[in-house]
Amino acid sequence: MKRQVMEAFIEPACEHNQPNHKGCAMPKPGEAAGGCSFDGAQITLLPIADVAHLVHGPLACTGNSWESRGSLSSGPRLFQYGFTTDLSEHDIIFGGERKLRQAIYEIIQRFHPPAIFVYSTCVTALIGEDLDAICHDETKKWGTPVIPINSPGFVGSKNLGNRLAGEALLQYVIGTAEPPETTPFDLNLIGEYNIAGEMWDLEPLFNKVGIRVLSHLTGDGRFEEIRYAHRAKANMVVCSRALINMARKMEEKYGIPYFEGSFYGARETSASLRQMGRLFNNPELNKQIENVIKEEEEKLSQDLVYERQILRGLKVVLYTGGVKSWSVITALQELGMKVVAVGTNKSTKDDVARIKERAGHDVELIESDGAARILKAVKTKKADIIIAGGRNMYLALKEQIPFLDINQERHTAYAGYVGLKRLAQHLVHSIQHPIWELVRYKTSWQEELSNDS
Amino acid sequence: MTKKVEIKDHNTLFQSEKYQQQVENKREFENPCTLQEVEEVKEYTKTEEYKDKNFAREGLTINPAKACQPLGAVLAGLGFEGTLPFVHGSQGCVAYFRSHFSRHFKEPVPASSSSMTEDSAVFGGMRNLVEGLGNSASLYKPKMIAMSTTCMAEVIGDDLQAFIETARQEGNISEDFPVPFANTPSFVGSHITGYDSMMKSILSYLFEKEPGEIDKTEKINLIPGFETYTGNIVELKKILSLMGVEYTVLGDHSDNLDSPANGEYELYYGGTKLEDVPKAAGAKATFNLQKYPLKKTAKYIEEKWEQPVINGPYPIGIEKTDAFIKKVAEITGKEIPQALKDERGRVIDAFTDSHAYLHGKRVAIAGDPDIVLGLISFCLEVGIEPVHIVCTNGDKEFEVEAYALLKASPYGIDGKVYTGKDLWHLRSLLLTDPVDFAIGSTFMKFNAKDADIPLVRVGFPIFDRHHLHRYPIIGYQGALNLLTSMVNTILEELDKDAPGHSFDVVR
Repeated sequence: MKRQVMEAFIEPACEHNQPNHKGCAMPKPGEAAGGCSFDGAQITLLPIADVAHLVHGPLACTGNSWESRGSLSSGPRLFQYGFTTDLSEHDIIFGGERKLRQAIYEIIQRFHPPAIFVYSTCVTALIGEDLDAICHDETKKWGTPVIPINSPGFVGSKNLGNRLAGEALLQYVIGTAEPPETTPFDLNLIGEYNIAGEMWDLEPLFNKVGIRVLSHLTGDGRFEEIRYAHRAKANMVVCSRALINMARKMEEKYGIPYFEGSFYGARETSASLRQMGRLFNNPELNKQIENVIKEEEEKLSQDLVYERQILRGLKVVLYTGGVKSWSVITALQELGMKVVAVGTNKSTKDDVARIKERAGHDVELIESDGAARILKAVKTKKADIIIAGGRNMYLALKEQIPFLDINQERHTAYAGYVGLKRLAQHLVHSIQHPIWELVRYKTSWQEELSNDS
Repeated sequence: MTKKVEIKDHNTLFQSEKYQQQVENKREFENPCTLQEVEEVKEYTKTEEYKDKNFAREGLTINPAKACQPLGAVLAGLGFEGTLPFVHGSQGCVAYFRSHFSRHFKEPVPASSSSMTEDSAVFGGMRNLVEGLGNSASLYKPKMIAMSTTCMAEVIGDDLQAFIETARQEGNISEDFPVPFANTPSFVGSHITGYDSMMKSILSYLFEKEPGEIDKTEKINLIPGFETYTGNIVELKKILSLMGVEYTVLGDHSDNLDSPANGEYELYYGGTKLEDVPKAAGAKATFNLQKYPLKKTAKYIEEKWEQPVINGPYPIGIEKTDAFIKKVAEITGKEIPQALKDERGRVIDAFTDSHAYLHGKRVAIAGDPDIVLGLISFCLEVGIEPVHIVCTNGDKEFEVEAYALLKASPYGIDGKVYTGKDLWHLRSLLLTDPVDFAIGSTFMKFNAKDADIPLVRVGFPIFDRHHLHRYPIIGYQGALNLLTSMVNTILEELDKDAPGHSFDVVR
């Protein structure tokens, strides 16, 4: 495990690994911290809907988190089940191996999944459970792949967990089966998790230009299709740096070219489609891509007339993770909004450069995760709305600032051309909501009080 | 002029034809298995045979209905003025706790972590703790830090006391800055055990910090326990004020988790004043509203503060509220005011108005020990029959208490109590021996859907309904609230299933 973590940690395609700066950023003790590597691994792998996800550890790693992510499945529901070995003090002293084997047996008997992913946790990593050996053994015994996911919480941040999950897929899943048929334009999407069903908006768009998604890594994915991923002709990395290792290693091993892109906003979506065209390198396809882009963009710009009128010139503070911090900027600018401050606590150096490139140099960068900093930025910059993740939502509402949730818990798909329309609608909705009239309105007794003083 | 914007969310959007076709196309990737097979297995999981297999499970827990110790410890910390909960261990745990409470209370939740990493696994977590304390103190400016631990620190065996001492010596926190701490490994007990350890630690720390004579007062103390209804604490204060009783709530997190939106976010809002804790030692008695999350705390108060401790019962329903109020009157010598008697009368009146619809309804209940006992008692009062009772973190004592309640009523004879079981066990129970509705947390919605019965949301966590935590479930008002939600759930079902001729205006 140690070796895998180190490898992921010093991923060469990640610009965090410069001579003067090594590896993923470590969390600072004493700060309100984000999720851990275990959480990260789950974010990446749980969307594989027909797999049984078994957490080997004390109950609460599952108890505190099962079924609280926004990845949607069009079919199987098995991924929603919270499976755990629920280790007790006794197991920690004598080892949890027997219980783990029993749990694997019980899952195979009851649920017949195509595969089981076994996640290590802080506790099982510390007491030295040999997950690799046990899983290898059980796979041989039952014929069902039992795959170890070595990403215990303490190894680092969520990003590192994403990456370790990618390593596990490379090592144990990708390349273990052949697709029934291939097409010249087979694409893998890496790091797209079908949050609020975004994939279901994107896929028809690809189909329209003639590109097929061979493997969904991993939004609304199935175990079987991920085994085929090595036969794709191109990879697109959607969630930026977190899974760059997968793309790079697949290029090395299978010669699949890759690019990084985003689907937030029409401009990024069009750019991503064109990039795909470049990788597939087919004049017919490129022509089709251009046609679709033209058609979609024209339609969208007619669709957005009303929203643009309302949103033009409004100021936004953006506080999201990693890739979204820059890709959403473009989307907001397309709507005529001005991004005045951006949270960069989870962004890479490269992300920051892209933020500046898009939002201009006078944009304020909020580096550390601090509620006070966000609120201050809203006040000093006189922002009209905050766009951030769920944990910051109630904070903003306390300060009576309009808020839009953009993280995994949200219920609306914002990707692609139709997604931008929905994002615009939601922004209009948030900003125009009558509740803001109410909070700014002073009651008669408040007026009396200020008159008296 | 603004116009109304219509937006489809994923509930409705993906029902449209375009998306449905996509789903069909995708089926080829799903491990091939026919719809008929799916139906067959679904039917099979409803059989006694499957239930027996399910209950024979040994190694595997499916859909757990409990959380871990530090979650409880964080809640205990939030009950004190200017207090920052700090969890020593790996960082991800704290992120989960904050999300968990945020999603339930719809509030921001302050808590920090020492963010241990692989190095700490080898060398111990001292540097993280020492540095973390310093950073937390300077960043968030608390008056007190309530420290608990995750599994990681416990498996390594970190010595909290020594580490905190080091932090003082190195000047990261001042000599007299209060840092009560509790060891709260997740692999022992549950969130209620963690609440207990942290509460005991805070009380003993603040009390023993200032040694001296205990000044006797006329007040009483109240400790809420793992209380996830801010409305309950408010209701409690209302009852005591009506009675003219002077009191101190120890661990009052009701303000911190229900602060007003007035344009200025305060990291710490309300909570028990730190200086009130040593004074509480001189009170006439301590009422522990819940019994199971306060066992160690109760023992400490009895021994060190030398005052009687009244452990529960959690006052859900008329009978238990009566018992609570009577006990308060007895200890304080206060009269029970007419206003309370009238309120009781009104709620009894409401019970009689609805009783015909509740009579003989069968329910399944799941939750923490105190809340489950209270709900059993309430159900029996209104003629509802508790059938399946699942309490994952219940112990032997709980089981005895639950059966005693059930046996005392003809409505309780079918009741069976399961401790240590999870929600997948409960699913089998619901499918083999159906009931009319279920009572429990949001996580029970999957079971309720499979069994095609309504779920009345009571307990923790409730992520998918708003504001329920603001409405008390204890006291007479609480009994009325529970009654209202249960009877209206039943009436809603009646309307839903009614054939034309029975679709009545009057129910």
